[in-house]
Amino acid sequence: MGEAVLLEALRAECDACRRRLEENFRTHGDAGAALTGRAALADRTISALVSTLFASAPAPGSRCCLLAIGGYGRRALFPSSDLDVLLLCADAQAAEAVREPAAALVRMLWDLGWRAAVTSRLLEECDRFEQENPEFSISLLDNRPITGDPALGTILRQKILPSLAAREHSAYVRSLDEMTRERHQKHGNTLFHLEPNLKDAPGGLRDFDLACWATAIQELARLGTPDHKRAWTAPDAGWGQLLGDAAGAAYRFIAAVRVFLHYHHGRDDNRLTYDLQEEAASRNIGVAGAEPLRVEEWMRLYFRHARTIARISKRRMDEAMARPSLYSAFEDWRARLSNADFSVHRNRVFCRRPAALADPVFLLSLFEFVARHGLELAVETETIVEQALPTSNCSAGWPGEGAAAGAALRRILNLPSAGLALRAMHRVGVLDAVLPEFRAVDALVIRDLYHRYTVDEHTLLTIEGLHALRHAASEPDRRFAEILAEVEQPELLYLALLLHDVGKGMPGGNHVVASLEAAERACPRLGLAPYERDLVAFLIRNHLEMSLTLQRRDIFDPEAVRVFAEQVATPERLKMLCLLTYADIRSVNPESLSPWKAEMLWQLYAAAANYLARSVDGTRIAPSAGSDRELLEVVRGSPALAALAKPLAAFLDGFPRRYLKLHSADEIAAQFEMARHLEERLVAGDPHAAETQLRERRGHYELTVVARDRPRLFAALTGVLTEWGMNILKADAFSNRAGLVLDSFVFADLYDTLRLNPEERGRLLADTEDAAAGRSAAEMIPRRRFARGAAARFRAAIATEVSFDNSCSATSTVFELVARDRPGLLHRISELLADAACNIEAALVDTQGEKAIDVFYLTQHGKKLSAAEGQALRETLLESLGRE
Amino acid sequence: MTKIEAIIQTSRFEAVKDALKEAGIEGMTVTDVRGHGRQKGHTEVYRGREYSMDLLPKTKVELVVADRLAQTAIEAILKSARTGKIGDGKIFVSRVEEAIRIRNAERGEDAL
Repeated sequence: MGEAVLLEALRAECDACRRRLEENFRTHGDAGAALTGRAALADRTISALVSTLFASAPAPGSRCCLLAIGGYGRRALFPSSDLDVLLLCADAQAAEAVREPAAALVRMLWDLGWRAAVTSRLLEECDRFEQENPEFSISLLDNRPITGDPALGTILRQKILPSLAAREHSAYVRSLDEMTRERHQKHGNTLFHLEPNLKDAPGGLRDFDLACWATAIQELARLGTPDHKRAWTAPDAGWGQLLGDAAGAAYRFIAAVRVFLHYHHGRDDNRLTYDLQEEAASRNIGVAGAEPLRVEEWMRLYFRHARTIARISKRRMDEAMARPSLYSAFEDWRARLSNADFSVHRNRVFCRRPAALADPVFLLSLFEFVARHGLELAVETETIVEQALPTSNCSAGWPGEGAAAGAALRRILNLPSAGLALRAMHRVGVLDAVLPEFRAVDALVIRDLYHRYTVDEHTLLTIEGLHALRHAASEPDRRFAEILAEVEQPELLYLALLLHDVGKGMPGGNHVVASLEAAERACPRLGLAPYERDLVAFLIRNHLEMSLTLQRRDIFDPEAVRVFAEQVATPERLKMLCLLTYADIRSVNPESLSPWKAEMLWQLYAAAANYLARSVDGTRIAPSAGSDRELLEVVRGSPALAALAKPLAAFLDGFPRRYLKLHSADEIAAQFEMARHLEERLVAGDPHAAETQLRERRGHYELTVVARDRPRLFAALTGVLTEWGMNILKADAFSNRAGLVLDSFVFADLYDTLRLNPEERGRLLADTEDAAAGRSAAEMIPRRRFARGAAARFRAAIATEVSFDNSCSATSTVFELVARDRPGLLHRISELLADAACNIEAALVDTQGEKAIDVFYLTQHGKKLSAAEGQALRETLLESLGRE
Repeated sequence: MTKIEAIIQTSRFEAVKDALKEAGIEGMTVTDVRGHGRQKGHTEVYRGREYSMDLLPKTKVELVVADRLAQTAIEAILKSARTGKIGDGKIFVSRVEEAIRIRNAERGEDAL
């Protein structure tokens, strides 16, 4: 048959077969048939051409052969994919003989509509790893004979490739690793894209190939070792057959979508565009079943499959890269981070006691180790963790282990690599066991052009984003980092972030309500105290409020700031809500938190924080003026308080409204009891009585004092703590309308006095009562407890700043003071204020690292300070504190 | 054709968008911008440090409309963006010579 006639016949066959395959795909959605059908058509076409073109060559057939390589070799020939063929020759003479026919073959394949590339190599040339063209050496892993001398192909597969893989194992792995990094880098190192590239993005088909190649190299290398006599075992359906069912299902889904894209575009365009997602979903591409899925559900399937592929490729590469020498293994097992439970080998964590993983507490300690050291789990560790998890449905969390699991989760959330640990927990199913509510948002898609990530990914990014603030480089980020450093219980913020969007995967129209309901179930199970549950619930309930205020209110309008600040009510809540909003916005897509928005958020935070600090005496509880709504709410919520409604109202009358938000119902009841005892003692004839209470609070101590107001009282109390060597971290001082003072101090016991000598607690309380009653000369106390060295240790370049404002309070002058924190500072300040005959109407004392931030509401002889008096006091404070 | 650029308070954007929609104008380009006119910046003192914003955050809405719709659009923006306070923003109006839709090369008002 002449070439022209042959070409015409083949063209007709190719066109008809391609039409048939496309029609079959459109009708039945059978992507597998489309891929293998095209590969078979290519095989037939090449065989027919070779039998004609090579017939006249001097070395026909016997000394060369044609092999399909790459995707064609895997029989995964997508409609617009390239056709890669290897012309393998026994020697140079044979190669020269077929040079012309080979060129004609390429030309005719192009004429027939194949994007063909024929690479010519001698057999011996295949026995080296081509550093300059690693793609070729990798493509050989998928070789498959088409036509020609079968012995050549057999030598390549049985001898050359196994020995090459054994010899050049590390070159193969290194090349694969470098190519993958480069490819992933181009796609932002994330599988989450609004319009993902199905081939090259992380989790795409190239990652599936990567897993296959890593497996092939391992298998071939085993064959290539001298003591191994096994034959070539590449499965007929390709290396992918060795990757497991989940990977196979993921491959079939994404491959089907790629076939759909190629047919749709008519070219090798692998971007799953927004519009085509809808069409693919409506046609059930990749999915068995007659009922079309909603596009959100279909995309959820896509992300789950992409995640599976990303995971399996990472695992296989991990295994391929972990082929160490005996010596390096020995060295590594002694990595300094290893302990009795876990060992670290090549930056991967192994478990030394796999049997103990059945204990949830031990299991979670593994993830605590990950979160602390920022190390990934080894593949085999993930496998044994999966096997150790209870197989029953854990919808109620870990039976009987909720509180212990909750405590472990809280520790994990606070550690620097919490995100890494949470991702590992999510991957192997441990997060589901601890927090089954999170299952609802697994790979959940919010499909619009704004939300780039699935809800679970978004949530994990929020937590990682906050932890990343520890290394903040830009000025705006440093501001938020400072706020984070001040948060007392950041783990509650992280927990609120974990739960804030779970409602999106639950029934009901309002995800905030559903998330709150989920938190109501989860928080008690995790062992959170009531006030902690309230805080988490507050953050979830209001997680959109700050964003909405930014968008819809003029944040430079004092009234808008007032409304927002009063809704938030306390500085601690404000800090947490601001950080939650920061993390939430920046994790929607990479550009969502523009410098513009970050600035707006910070301005609103600063304005609201200032409002809260400067409005303490502007909003006071006034039950005497009628029924106080907030007070009634607090009382109604607590049976203990409800019984005390009337006397309680008298006690609270005149306290700043914030008092109700700062204290739980139990704390209010306890402080009211202290006030009642005090009244009884006063009535019994002890005019200088004072009530005190000391308790431990999250690693520090909290001292509460209830006493009758008198001049220099605050200075006396701070003097006692200073004398005892305690460093005051926070303090509140409030007084009610009847002249009763409630002061509380959170302090660090720098010398462990109270922990090492529990009996000293009683003496501290006695000293405090004496000071409150004016029975000791505490206000005159020399600061003998602090050696000079103690103050010298606290060095930071923080300038003392003092400002005062007569406009923000109706009755007091508000002084705000920022200084380097050091032991005895608060006592020194209160002495200076007392010396200036100032009465402290209210005080808010806080520390942030080495910075003390104090706000005092002052009066002099019952009135505000004049501008001149304020200025004089400011200068006194600046001069005295700046000198020390 | 007329190009209308309105620099407005960010908090008024939703209202402006709704008003334009009600007036039958839906196409617009929106940008987060910073700036100030006679209204100067804002200073917040926080923790003893002064944080100044010389340029305040605003939102810029740009639209090109057929001449017959220009006054309607301007009225809609004026009504919905006004709070009566300093810093409400400004509207700039200019002539547009030509509009071309890139996809199909349509020109003039057909391209809007």
